[in-house]
Parts: sequence; C-alpha cells; structure tokens
Amino acid sequence: MSTTTPSPTRTIDPRALAAAERSPGLWQLAWKRLLRDKIAVLAMFIVIGFILLSLLSFFGVVAKDWSKEVGINYAPPVFAPNAEGGGLDAPVTVTAPSQTGDATALPFTFTTGVKDPLEAEMKEIYAQLGRGGASAPAAAAQGYVSTIVDPLAEDLAAIRKELGRPDPTGVSSATALGSGYKGSIVDPLAEDVVAINKELGRAGAMAGAMAGAMAVVTTAEKKIVRSPTLAFGGDKWGRDVLAKVIKGSETSILVGFAAAIVATLIGTVLGALAGYFGGWVDDVLNWFYSIFSAIPYLLLILAIAAVVNKKGVITIVLILGLTGWASIFRLVRAEYMKHKTREYVQAATAIGASNWRKMFVHIFPNVSHVALVQLSLHVVLFIKSEVILSFLGFGVGVDTVSWGSMLNEAQSELILGKWWQLAAATLFMAVLVTAFSLFTDALRDALDPKLK
Amino acid sequence: MSTYLIRRLWQMFPTLLGVILFIFVIFNMVGGDPAYVLAGKISSPEQIANIRKELGIDQPYYVQLWIFIKQVFTFNFGASWSTNELVSDLFKTRVPPSLMIGIPLLVLETIIALGMALMVAYYRASLTDRSIMIGCTIAQSISILVYIIFGQYYFAYKLGWFPVQGWGDSFFQNQFTYALLPILIGAAVGLAPAIRLYRTFVLDEINQDYVRTARAKGMSEKRTMLVHVLRNAAIPVITNVLVQLPGLIVGLFLVERFFSIPGIGREAILAVERSDFPVIKAVTVYVAIATMFANLLADLLYKVVDPRVQLK
Amino acid sequence: MTTLLSIKNLSVSFRIDRDTQYEAVRNISFDIPEKSTVALVGESGSGKSVTSLALMGLLPKENSKTSPDSRVMYKGKNLLTISSAEMQKIRGAEISMIFQEPMSSLNPVFTVGFQLGETLEKHANVSAAEARKRALALLEEVGIPEPTTSINKYPFQMSGGQQQRVMIAMAIACEPELLIADEPTTALDVTIQKQILELLAGLQRKRNMSVLFITHDLAVVGDIADHVIVMRHGQIREQGSVRQVFTQPTDPYTRALLACRPRVDTRPKVLPVIDDFINAENVAHASNTNQSGTQLFNPLANVETRTRGIKPEDSVILDVQGLSKSFYTKSGFFSQKEFKAVNDVSFKLHKGKTLGLVGESGSGKTTVGLTLMRLHEATAGKAFLEGKDILAMSEAEFKQYKRRIQIIFQNPYASLNPRFTVGQILQEPMQLHSIGNGGQERAGLAFELLARVGLPEASFYKYPHEFSGGQRQRIAIARCLTMKPDILICDESVSALDVSVQAQVLNLLQELQDEYGMSYLFISHDLAVVKYISDEVMVMSNGEMVEMANSDDIYARPQHPYTKKLLSSIPTGMAAMA
Repeated sequence: MSTTTPSPTRTIDPRALAAAERSPGLWQLAWKRLLRDKIAVLAMFIVIGFILLSLLSFFGVVAKDWSKEVGINYAPPVFAPNAEGGGLDAPVTVTAPSQTGDATALPFTFTTGVKDPLEAEMKEIYAQLGRGGASAPAAAAQGYVSTIVDPLAEDLAAIRKELGRPDPTGVSSATALGSGYKGSIVDPLAEDVVAINKELGRAGAMAGAMAGAMAVVTTAEKKIVRSPTLAFGGDKWGRDVLAKVIKGSETSILVGFAAAIVATLIGTVLGALAGYFGGWVDDVLNWFYSIFSAIPYLLLILAIAAVVNKKGVITIVLILGLTGWASIFRLVRAEYMKHKTREYVQAATAIGASNWRKMFVHIFPNVSHVALVQLSLHVVLFIKSEVILSFLGFGVGVDTVSWGSMLNEAQSELILGKWWQLAAATLFMAVLVTAFSLFTDALRDALDPKLK
Repeated sequence: MSTYLIRRLWQMFPTLLGVILFIFVIFNMVGGDPAYVLAGKISSPEQIANIRKELGIDQPYYVQLWIFIKQVFTFNFGASWSTNELVSDLFKTRVPPSLMIGIPLLVLETIIALGMALMVAYYRASLTDRSIMIGCTIAQSISILVYIIFGQYYFAYKLGWFPVQGWGDSFFQNQFTYALLPILIGAAVGLAPAIRLYRTFVLDEINQDYVRTARAKGMSEKRTMLVHVLRNAAIPVITNVLVQLPGLIVGLFLVERFFSIPGIGREAILAVERSDFPVIKAVTVYVAIATMFANLLADLLYKVVDPRVQLK
Repeated sequence: MTTLLSIKNLSVSFRIDRDTQYEAVRNISFDIPEKSTVALVGESGSGKSVTSLALMGLLPKENSKTSPDSRVMYKGKNLLTISSAEMQKIRGAEISMIFQEPMSSLNPVFTVGFQLGETLEKHANVSAAEARKRALALLEEVGIPEPTTSINKYPFQMSGGQQQRVMIAMAIACEPELLIADEPTTALDVTIQKQILELLAGLQRKRNMSVLFITHDLAVVGDIADHVIVMRHGQIREQGSVRQVFTQPTDPYTRALLACRPRVDTRPKVLPVIDDFINAENVAHASNTNQSGTQLFNPLANVETRTRGIKPEDSVILDVQGLSKSFYTKSGFFSQKEFKAVNDVSFKLHKGKTLGLVGESGSGKTTVGLTLMRLHEATAGKAFLEGKDILAMSEAEFKQYKRRIQIIFQNPYASLNPRFTVGQILQEPMQLHSIGNGGQERAGLAFELLARVGLPEASFYKYPHEFSGGQRQRIAIARCLTMKPDILICDESVSALDVSVQAQVLNLLQELQDEYGMSYLFISHDLAVVKYISDEVMVMSNGEMVEMANSDDIYARPQHPYTKKLLSSIPTGMAAMA
C-alpha cells in the first residue's frame, strides 16, 4: 500500500486557479456598464473616428493639400451648387481645356516661405486703423503664394504617352527639368495695401509700387484647373473647406488631448501630494491654487499669450496645460483627503504600509476615475479654448489651420452669404465635442463607484 | 462674525501677494524687455534706454516689484501704452457697460436655468430629461463664437430686430437697444452648462431624506419641489453665481468685441493684441481681487441662506 | 378588533438595470388592527422598509413597480390606486411616518416651527398663528425642553433624540390613525432609544392610534408591540401575537433570530447561528419527523455556558497608563478650542482575554483604539507592550510592533480596498513584514487563512464588492491573522452586521482567541454583545473611564450611576417574555 504523505502546507499554484476563477475588477465592470449604454458606444465610435481622421491627416494621408487653391474663390458646396459662389472678385483662373490630364502636378501652387517684408508695418497699420482682422496679416505671414507653370510639362506628358513610359510623379519630373518656368508671384498684401492707401489718401509709396510690380509679373497661367464646386465648398482663396476642416480636427484633437494630459498630470500629482500630506505641503500648494483660481481662466490664458507672443501648437498646449490644472487639483485633493481617512487606508497604516504605497498603490486606483473623467472633460474644455484663441489670432500659426481661424474667416464671409465654411467648422466641432461630452458623461456614470 | 471677517481679509493677503508676484514674474521677467515691446520694431538704442528709464525697468527686480505693488494699492498704473488714457479712467468708463451686460445676463440665465433644472430633475430619467440633457450637451458643444457670429448676422443683420453693433451715451438707449442682443446671446450660451450644473444640485437634494419626509407629511409635489428642494438647491446656486460674476465681466470680451461695446473685456483683449502691458496687468490684478471679494461675499451669503454654516 | 389597514398580496420589485429586476417584497398580506402596535421585524434586505414606503406611496417612481393585484385597503379605498391628490390628504394627516435618521429627515434650512406649522396648515387648515400655538403644545407633549425657544431652532441645533422627538411631533400633529415608525431608534444611543420607545408607547395609548413599528431588533419589539410579523427575503415568515412569537415560535428563522442575539443573562459557549435552525428544520423534514425540529434544537435550553473573568494569575500584555487625546479646533485668531476626546484613561489588557469597552457615541471609546494603534497621536499617556512604551517609540521602531497589534474596523464596506483582490489584500501584510518565503508560500498561507475564517478558496481571486458584510469582516479578520498579532482591537466590528451574521462573526472571533491566545480590546456600544464576549468591561463616558470590573460583576452589580442607567436601558422585553 502506498502511503501518501500529507503536505504540511497547502501548495496551490495561484496562477493555475487564476485563469478559471478570476473575477472582473471594478474597471472591467465599469467597462461593461459603459458598453451597455448605446449612446455612449455611438459617441465612442465617433470620437475614435475623429482620432483616426486626425491621425491620417497628421501623417499626410488626407487633407495634405488643404492649402492648395483647388477650387474657384468661394466655390459653393456640391450639395448647394447654386449658392452664391464664385465670389465678387472673380479669380484669374484660366480654364483652358487640358489635353493632357495626367500632368497633374503642374502647375502647382506653393507657399514660398519668403515672408513679406511689409508684414510688421501692415500689422501696425491695422492696429492703428482699428481695422478688423482681414485675412491679410495671416496671408502675409504665410509668405508669397506662387504658381509655377512648367512650359515643358504638356509636351513631356504627350511624349510619355507616345512612348508608353510610366508616369513618375509630376513633381519629380518637374524638378528634373530645371529652369525655364513661367511663374506668378502674388503678393498677398497688395490688394489690402492699395485699399488702405486709398483710404488714407496716401500715395502708393514703396508698398504700392511693389504690389504693382508684383502684379505685373503675372503671366499666362495656362493650366490652373479650379473646380467650380467643392465637397464642402471653398474659401476666399478657393481652398477646399473639407480639407481645412479635417486639418482643423487634427489641430483640435492634438491640442485638446495634449493639453488635457499635461493639466491632468500636474493637477493629479499636486492634488495627491496636497490631499495626502496636508499640513504645510497643502498650504503651499493651496496657495498656488488660489493664485490660479483668482484670475479668470480666459484672462489668464490671454495674458500669458500676450507675453509669450509666439504662435504654434506647442505654445497653446503649454499655455492651456500649465494654467488648466487648478480644478483638477482641487478635486483630486478633496478625493485624497476623503480617502486618507477611509478605513482601508487606516488598515494599510496598521499593517505598516509606507506613505508612498498608500498614496499610489492604495488610494490612487480609487481616485483614478476622477482623474480620468477630468481628463475627458478638459479635452473638451481645451478644444473650445483653442478655438477661441485661434479665432483671436493667439492660437496656431498660419502654417496650419484651426476651426478657430476658420470661424474668423467665416465671420466676414457670412455677410457675403458664404455660409459653408462657418457651417463646416461648426458641424465638425459640434459633432466631435458632443460625442466627447456624451462619452464623458457615460464614463462618469459607469465609473461612479456607487456599488462601493 | 467680525473676527471671521478680519481673519478672511487677513487670509486674502497671501493670495493677493501671490497674484501680484505671479503677474510680475510673467510680465517683467518672462515677457522679455517691455521697452522693446513699447518702442516697436525700429528704434534706436537711445530710445530704448529712455523708455527703460521711464518705466523704471533699469532698476533691480525688487525695486520694480515694489513699484508694481505700489501701483496696485494706489490704483495708479499710469497711462495705457497705446492710447495714453489713464488706466484708472479706463476702468471708470469701461466697467459700467460690462456690468450692464453681465448682470442682466446672469440674472436671466440663472432664473431660466434653475427653473429648467427643477423640471428636468423632477422628471429625472424620463424621456424629457434625457432629451433635454442631450440637447444641452449639443448646445454646449457649439462654440460661443458661432452663437455670436450667427446671432449677430441673423437677428441683427438679416432680421433687423436689433442694432448690429454700437453704443451710445444714453443709459436707457444702451440698456434697452444696444445691450439687448448681447445679453440674450450671452444668456443663451450660458444656459446649457448652467442647466446641467443646477440639475446636479437639484438631484443631490431630491434624494435626501427630508424630501421623503415632506412627501410623508402630505405636502404636494409642487410645494416639495419649490419650497423644500429649491431652498436647499439654491444655496450652491447663489454662491456659484456670485463667484462667477468677476470672471464673467471679462469673459464677455467676445460679445463686447463683436458688438463694439466699450466694456472692460474688449479693452482687455485690445490690450493683449497691442501688448499694452499696463492695462493687462491692471485688469488681471483687479479682476483677481474682485474674485477674492466675490468669494468672501459668497461665504457670507452662505451664512444667510444656510443656517448650518457657522462662520468662525 | 376592527382592522384599520389591510395589506393584500403586496409585491414590489425594483429595476436594477435594463434586464435585472429585484423583487424586494413578494406577495405579502397582513392586517393592522385599530389602536394597536404591530411590529415588522427583519434583517437587512427583508423588505420591511419597502413595505412601509409602499403603503405610504413613497416608493421612488422611476425604478419601482408594485404588482397589479397588490392592495392596501384603508377605509374602503385602495391606497395604491387612488389619485395622488387624495393620497396627499391622507399622508401626514391620517397616516404619518417617522424615519431612521432624524437629522437628515428634517429639512436643514427651515426651523422646527416652520416644518411643524407647515403640516398643520396643510391638513388642519388653521392660520399661521394658530399653527404656531398648536406646534408649541405638540413640542411640549413630545418632551422638548423650552418649547418657546426650541420652536425657532434649526434641526442641527438639536441633539439626535430631540430631532426624533420633533419628527414624532410632526407625525402626530394631525391626530393620525396610523403612525409608521421605520427603525426610529436605530441611529440613537441606547439611553435615548429607551426614552423614544417610552414616548411612542405612551402616545399610542393616549391618542388611541395604531403604530406600525419597523425594526431589525427583536429585543425592542417585546417592549412595545402587540403583534409581530417576521420578514425575510421579502416574505413573511411568521406572524402572531407578541407572546406567541416570543414563546412559541413556529418558524425556524424566528427561532434563530431569537437565539442568535447575545443576551445579558446567559452566555452560551457558542452562539447558535441561523444555519443551525434552518438545517435542523431540513433534517426534520427529510426524516419525516414532523415538527420535531422544535424539540431537536431549543436555543434556550441545554446549552453549555462559558464563565469569564480575569483571575489574579492572568498575565498582562498591554498596560495603558493615563492615556489622553485632545482634538483642537480653531476659534478666533490665535486661540484654539480643546476637546478632550479621551481623558486620562488607564487599563490593563490580559493575555488571551477580552476587555470590552462600552460607551455611547462621543464617549471616546473608538479614539482609545485608534490612539493605541498610533493612527491618532496620543496627547499624553503610556502604553507598555512587554515593557516597551509603544506610544513613545519612533516610527521606525514601532514598525516592528505593528504586526503585534492589529485592528478590525466597524464598516466592512470601507475597510477593504475595493481595487484589490482578496488575495492581494491578504498577501500585502505578509510582503510588508516579510512573512513567508516567496509568493507561492504566501499564497498558500492566504488560502489556509481563508479556509480558517470560513471562506471558499475561490475568494482569493475575488474583489471585496462581491462579498456580503459578514464575509468582508471575515476577510478583514484574515488580514489581521496573517501577522499573528498578540492584540486585536475590534472597533465596533460586529455593529454593522445583521443579528444572524453577528453571531457567526462573534463565534469566529471566540474560536480564534481560543486557538491563538490573542487578546481582544472589544469596542462596542452594544451592551449585550460586550457582555457576551468580554472577560472584563470598561465603561466610558465623555472621554473618561466611569467604571471597570469583571463583566459578570459589572452587569450584576453596577456601581456607578451612569453604568446603572446604561444597563437599565437595555431592552428587556424579550427576557421578560422568556
């Protein structure tokens, strides 16, 4: 008879049992609750869609050519082709029939990167005259807009066709051809300056002469094919509003998420320290908080924007993130103060857990839902703030586009009856922000640990 | 009570000093040399040196800080860099129009929002509640800019119900013609977030035991909501409104800008655009001080509306 | 006796979410006769409060449903179907109600006078002046001191007992036929409980009204009720006259409830628990010996009892001398107000024995426990554990002692970290104190302890929210056991539990003490529980020690007037009946 020696201690491999009997944690339960909410799921899909769209736009898959003038000025949207499109000042477009449709890359429009030397002066003039923010300063900062027409492109395309050669990208073939382009350089300010000079009764000094000179250069633009309608219409320059609004989503989502992450990190860490330790740590951090909360939020941002005086996505992210942590701090601090006295934390003290362990291993998972919801709320808040900043001209630079700068353009367009840029920016923003807000609400409900 | 007041005023000092220090650091240290900003792009070194002397920024930082503190407490920020108007005069003329917009707006918004909040909270979880809440979420998602651009275009430009923009000298004309549309637009913008916020206040109260007691006593639903629940829910609402006020005054800058109303908000934004540091500094400091006093006032009011609060 | 109100086939269900319903009350029927007191007894989740809310029409509309064949007949009307306007006329006038938490049940921002007057103006149709006059009389009647000043007070300015008196005044203002009292004394101290019960009983007789008294505490029922209805899991288990239910209970659950609760007069070695009765019943049914279950298990007879007390030879493990703890609140500019939560308390805890610490709320008993654990810093005093003053040593030095002195808290829902699995909860102290060699051994030890406190193995992988209150206390106990402490502080550890669960946890604690020789500092407001588990009892009041003696002595021969008052407040109805 074989004798089995009973083992003195139980030897169960916890991992063996684990797979079969593990229970869902609170996060998993919250996730399940979230999925049960149909509106939340729909909202989540919309938000994910927007994120994908902006990723595609970021990597240049879509909306890469947002700054190209692909349509006629104020091209109406395709679904309303009879809207007052076309613009008052009809463009210099030549729509000669193209025999060689494959010479796609040429002619092409690009920003030269050569800044207008008059930009600074113009700005001052605008300020002095209290003239509304016409698009000129923005355009000036962007640089001259040039259109270059390759005289050989047409022939080359024809030859290629004849020889059955594959068509490389138009751009590379164009560069290979070297010199001999015909081009036009349009001074973005010329029009405005002439108008201002007229207004002031000023003789067109250097600026006027220069603008004139610029205008003279214009030569036969043979192949500018501008579409009479665009999916969502075109703007003053004939740029595709759809591409712009997609590019704008990229900016908004980038700014919203990045700034919210910065703010939430700062608010959570400081809130945890203040709430957990109390005493002088709390006093000092609360003092900081009181300073930031005493100054109204938008005023604070604007003041800093005025001082920093440097445009760009990173600047906005930093401004919003570094100023927006106050309310998160307040909430996380309150949560830590509440949880610090909870019995499970006292029990952790009783078994000898260190402060660090109590703060991050015990309490943090129990307040992280607050931080998560705040993160989500602040994404929305910052998206809205960025729009206002960009509208006022303190936001993104002119090398990119924001819903705010679109709204700025739309403001004057609306009077002319060109409503589509306003509509596009409003629609995209409303859909994203509504979806995100609904998602945040559902997230808060799902995470609300009422079951304890 | 008076000891409480003295202590609270005393406690304001660190915050006030913090705000002053913060603004000082931002404008005098981070912001680069204001002389260059003031002198413009093309200026000779002598000009710069003159301006530096004039502004006192050739002095060490502690002297500059002391000058700034003196400015704050004597209300003497000198003149605006761009218009040469005295900053104190600027406040005197620009604050009243902002109040003429801000106060009616806040009153209107609060009354409507509280009424709506009571209603949706009473019908909580019903279809009415859910659809109004989703409506609020959508309304909140549209930029304030769109409300203003569209409102001004449609109601003033297209329909001609209101003047497109402007401001006159007569108080009545201003309040009842020029201020009307800005007030309505401002209230419309604030309504959705206010309803959502006040709804949570009401919901917090509606599940309290005393509401059950009121029903158990045979009080009608109307009385339960409008006397018992409202009285309790009004406590956070009142403080919320009061604390909001100073921020709102400058927060109206967009409305003021679009409608060409000479308010302090528009002045602030113009100052930011022109890098007019004295004006920005003054607006920031005084709005911060106003916010602190509004907080104090809110706490005192708390005592009035909530007997449980004891001010020590 | 004529019937005042009759409940027929009442069923109430709650919607948890889209596809989950919870049936809180299942098809119950009972009558409330005129001019008598009916007690509705049950543990948490029995549906007793839901029943009372249903007949007042106060169930939350958005998620509750009353089944269509339910009837609450009152004066020929079905209260469940009449219009809300009609119901409002009945509520507060003919049927009124008081609740468990008097503090939150009164509107905090209105004066007592306003809230009383409001009821009178609505139902009695009197002027404001007349309402005030009547309100004064009512306050006088319910025993509020100085009614003329009290009438202008806000609820927060009164004590819990006075608040409940105001609630009662409001309920009887319009001479109701039926007063529903939903756990009216549960939130109150035992001495206050006695006064409120006496007031209710007096008013019931004087005003000739009926009372529906809802409680979890059978002991209270004996004192005041004429009829008793016992509910469990939404169903009625037994109903009858109070004498019959107490002396000849037919339902095993009722018998269990009567037996599980520790009593002041006897001390069984092991408390009977609910399963004993239910199982006995099942066995009886299985063997077809009709009704023999009753004889098979009589809770009050043939039970081995335990004697307790400290003998001179018992060794001391913890010697506390002159312990004080003050809290300071700011008042004025630089001055602060001192509140002495514990004032100069000294006692000795003997090895392997239990010291019971009794007192009403605010007596400082919990502060004693927290200060000894150094969760609060002591203001003064010493506590010697094997000759070392654990209050004076540095934090680093105290770390060695932490595992020797442990605590179990009152609220089982708050004392376990909701984000940790039970396995993590049990292994954490072992990791911190380097108990066990490696994860495998620690897990093994955790499994052993789970088995020891009577929880299934699978619990290891579960989260606290999946356990009931009693189970969670077992987990908390197991967590302490990982460190094999010498001293265990039980801070109201069974107070939040239902009677039947309470008995199980008390039995477990006793078994563990017998097995490991731990010493307990057992803090509780419940005199019967303390009497049951303690060798020695210390009575505290207002931060000071009032009396300390062997537990049998102190209950038999209390010396201090406060102790006497406390002991006389224990509900005795059941004992008198038995």
